Amino acid sequence: MPLPVPEVPASRRLALDCRTILDHRVGKGVCGCCGALRPRYKRLVDNIFPEDPEDGLVKANMEKLTFYALSAPEKLDRIGAYLSERLSRDVARHRYGYVCIAMEALDQLLMACHCQSINLFVESFLKMVRKLLESDKPNLQILGTNSFVKFANIEEDTPSYHRSYDFFVSRFSEMCHSSYEDPDIRTKIRMAGIKGLQGVVRKTVNDELQANIWDPQHMDKIVPSLLFNLQSGEGVESRSPSEKEKESPVELTERCFRELLGRAAYGNIKNAVSPVLMHLDNHSLWEGKTFAVRCFKIIMYSIQSQHSHLVIQQLLGHLDANSKSSATVRAGIVEVLLEAAAIAASGSVGPTVLEVFNTLLRQLRLSVDFELTGSYDPGSSIGTKIIKTHGERQLQEAVIRTIGSFANTLPTYQRSEVMLFIMGKIPVPGVHPALSSSCSGPEGTRMIQIMLLKSLVQVTAGFQTTNMLTALPSSFLEPLLSFSLTEDPEVRLLVIHILLSLIDRHDNRPKFSTISIISDISVLKLKVDKCSRQDNLFMKKHGQQLYRHIYLGCKEQSSGRQHYENLYNLLALLSMELANEEVVVDLIRLALALQDLALSTEESMPVFNRCAIHALAGAYLNLICQLTTVPAFCQHIQEVIEVRQKEAPFLLPEDIFIEGPKLPPSLDKVEGEMLFLQSKITEVLGGSGYNIDRLATPYVPQYTDEDRLSKRKSIGDNISLPPEDESRNSPEKEERTPAEEITFETLKNAIVDSVGMEEQERERRRQVVEKFQKAPFEEIAAHCGARATLLQSKLNQIFEITIRPPPSPSGTISSGYGQTQSRSVPVYEMKFPDLCVY
Amino acid sequence: MSMEDYDYLFKIVLIGNAGVGKTCLVRRFTQGLFPPGQGATIGVDFMIKTVEIKGQKVKLQIWDTAGQERFRSITQSYYRSANALILTYDITCEDSFRCLPEWLKEIEQYANSQVVTILVGNKIDLAEKRAVHRHRAQDFAESQSMVYLETSAKESDNVEKLFLDLACELIREAKQNKLDNSDAAPMLGEGKSISYLSCCSIN
Repeated sequence: MPLPVPEVPASRRLALDCRTILDHRVGKGVCGCCGALRPRYKRLVDNIFPEDPEDGLVKANMEKLTFYALSAPEKLDRIGAYLSERLSRDVARHRYGYVCIAMEALDQLLMACHCQSINLFVESFLKMVRKLLESDKPNLQILGTNSFVKFANIEEDTPSYHRSYDFFVSRFSEMCHSSYEDPDIRTKIRMAGIKGLQGVVRKTVNDELQANIWDPQHMDKIVPSLLFNLQSGEGVESRSPSEKEKESPVELTERCFRELLGRAAYGNIKNAVSPVLMHLDNHSLWEGKTFAVRCFKIIMYSIQSQHSHLVIQQLLGHLDANSKSSATVRAGIVEVLLEAAAIAASGSVGPTVLEVFNTLLRQLRLSVDFELTGSYDPGSSIGTKIIKTHGERQLQEAVIRTIGSFANTLPTYQRSEVMLFIMGKIPVPGVHPALSSSCSGPEGTRMIQIMLLKSLVQVTAGFQTTNMLTALPSSFLEPLLSFSLTEDPEVRLLVIHILLSLIDRHDNRPKFSTISIISDISVLKLKVDKCSRQDNLFMKKHGQQLYRHIYLGCKEQSSGRQHYENLYNLLALLSMELANEEVVVDLIRLALALQDLALSTEESMPVFNRCAIHALAGAYLNLICQLTTVPAFCQHIQEVIEVRQKEAPFLLPEDIFIEGPKLPPSLDKVEGEMLFLQSKITEVLGGSGYNIDRLATPYVPQYTDEDRLSKRKSIGDNISLPPEDESRNSPEKEERTPAEEITFETLKNAIVDSVGMEEQERERRRQVVEKFQKAPFEEIAAHCGARATLLQSKLNQIFEITIRPPPSPSGTISSGYGQTQSRSVPVYEMKFPDLCVY
Repeated sequence: MSMEDYDYLFKIVLIGNAGVGKTCLVRRFTQGLFPPGQGATIGVDFMIKTVEIKGQKVKLQIWDTAGQERFRSITQSYYRSANALILTYDITCEDSFRCLPEWLKEIEQYANSQVVTILVGNKIDLAEKRAVHRHRAQDFAESQSMVYLETSAKESDNVEKLFLDLACELIREAKQNKLDNSDAAPMLGEGKSISYLSCCSIN
């Protein structure tokens, strides 16, 4: 009970007190005589102890002692020393009542004396606390701890050079692990230990002179002790209401742990988190996940947010260190990473973006290797541990989800970078043998392909970009589309998923997730923005590749319902996001070409696929006709659909994309009014100003660069090809030339309408500057590369126009990729796709 | 400042496999009892005992660690500040003896380089079940330049001797000033607040 100390009259009152004491002494006879020989501070101290310890501290005398100490601070250390001497004696003689009184007096003096001399007094005080803590009596331990906690909350203004808290840390940590028989007392001791640790941390954390509490020697005791209590309280939830009012050990521990973490500076995070990792290792707590996740949630929410990437880095490092641990352990760590990344959000990745993804991808590959080889160490013949495929699979899923979670925290430009990074890691058989897995052969390569594509699906999910050209640079799109040519249906499906995520910018994707004939598309509430200039450029550059991807995707016999649904979705999104008039025309042509494909007798295709393609083309034409809002077009489509509904329901999505569709034995009777007519569509669209010549030309997929990745390259110098090949190869030519004309026109418009363009130009410049400032080098390089390609193709077009008359729609000029170049400059080497050669 | 109630303070840490009798040894020494059915130690346990050797009061802080693997990280943190380690094994348990090299590795990794290590074979009361021959242990201890002692916490054989011998050795080391000053000197928070001056003058 520290008394309010009146400043001025203190000395006077003290003088009075002294006189009173002197007076009393005279009357005390023999005792007084003895007392007179003793120093005054000792007499004052002796007087606070009652005859019977049950009576408690003699309050009046305690006040006197306090006043004395305040007025003569130089005596404080002696008072402390004497009190502690008495206390030691009482401890030794098991006079615990007096021990408590002495401690109370020490506490009060400590509280009352906020002055310089506290420093020396503290030595005595701490010695007493230590004395109590050395005892094996729980009450004394708790008494000592409580005093220590009071002391810990005092802010000292004088630095103390020679004080060490080693013993306290050790002892409090030990108390946290108390195994006292009586559970109530055990809980009390443990809680005292936690409070004591909290006290040590408070006392030392801001004091530069103190032994660094963040040193591993202390952290390795404090953190595991806290975690032990955090964990041991789990599952003990049923407490009586009266107990609920008090703080449970777990709550106390969590509060203390949070406080500790909240105080950790940049350099201390590592020392604080390492023991957590060790503890989780030693107690096998990764497997259970819940506790590990809980720990790291506490950590992530408690530390200063600018440090969160350090924790993530440590977790990643730990994951690497545990590469050979069982899959459940690794999955646990990955799970924790997932949660932690979500909490840290923007701060989770830190400066080493690619390193984070590299680690995760490496784990993915290791896991695939483990799964296939069945051993953690391919070198040794005896697999010491049996690898459970199931566990590895779960781990892979977790890693993929984590990659997505990390990517979600990144800004757009970094996400593009990560996409390219992952793409660069995907093994292409025969092309990047060095990147493929070391020991698992083609199966391993395929699994890694799928894993990495799944990661890309995660990374691209929710990706929003305004500029398609930067989101899907050639360096990304081309390898991606080259995977669409594989025979592996799973890979193809993943590629479509990735494309869908990237193209969808207005959340229209879910609206087309199932394929059906929608009689009125206004119910879908589609969000459409006008196609930007970049989008037009993008389609000009990559449109053909995408169409071809869709066409060939439909053609694959291994394509199933999901494939068709997603291809439909892709077509729909292209029309939503990237369609100008020209693209619309191309897409209609593509749909008609798909119908032809389904009718074709050359291809040996199962009935299901034929029906599916018919249904897909029908559903898509139904959509696009409504988007074009040309009544006659809509009418034609409507008529065909109605006929099909009556006579051939298996040609409509509603009947084919269901469980166990009813298929006709053959499709010989599909003809006439069941089909969409190119001539009819050309006619009705021509009336609305669409490019008739182009519409009338059947679409045939062109072969581009991406084929060459996997197919044989051929070099030739012939200028013209045999006429038989014309029809197959001409479309590219026809498609390109009008495209260039439009560009040219827009270019001309730009010059004429320079006022309006100025604004745009300025904006564009700003974007360019921004991009070059922010974007990583690779991206800039890729962008420049793309521009060079664009320039090259434009040059080609110009050469072609100047040398030859514009081609007629019937397509008399044979053309292959790069051929235009050789036509004007015949010395150049020319690359031909396989088809041109045969 | 009042006089300390001891002349020397030493920290002793007991280590060894689970169930070799570390806690029983400490209990026997500090409390003079043998707790039957002693459960596994959780984390770490603390006991203190002051003994008098040649008129000098020696305070022994004894940290009794858990043998279980799961507590390894917290127990390791206690090695560092130890003046002496009592490495214990069970003479009736071959495994506990075989693990000794691993423990030595841990000591090398975590403990102070000048730490005094003593090897103790416990449970000699179960002589009929003995699995590790005395000579084997003796040889092993010699090869690692450790003192070897066999004890029985149950029968109280050699327990006093173990701790007293250790205390004598520690005093001898302290007198030779072999021990690192900062470690040998009692913690300043524990009272010897001005001893750093004498340390400085000695050096």
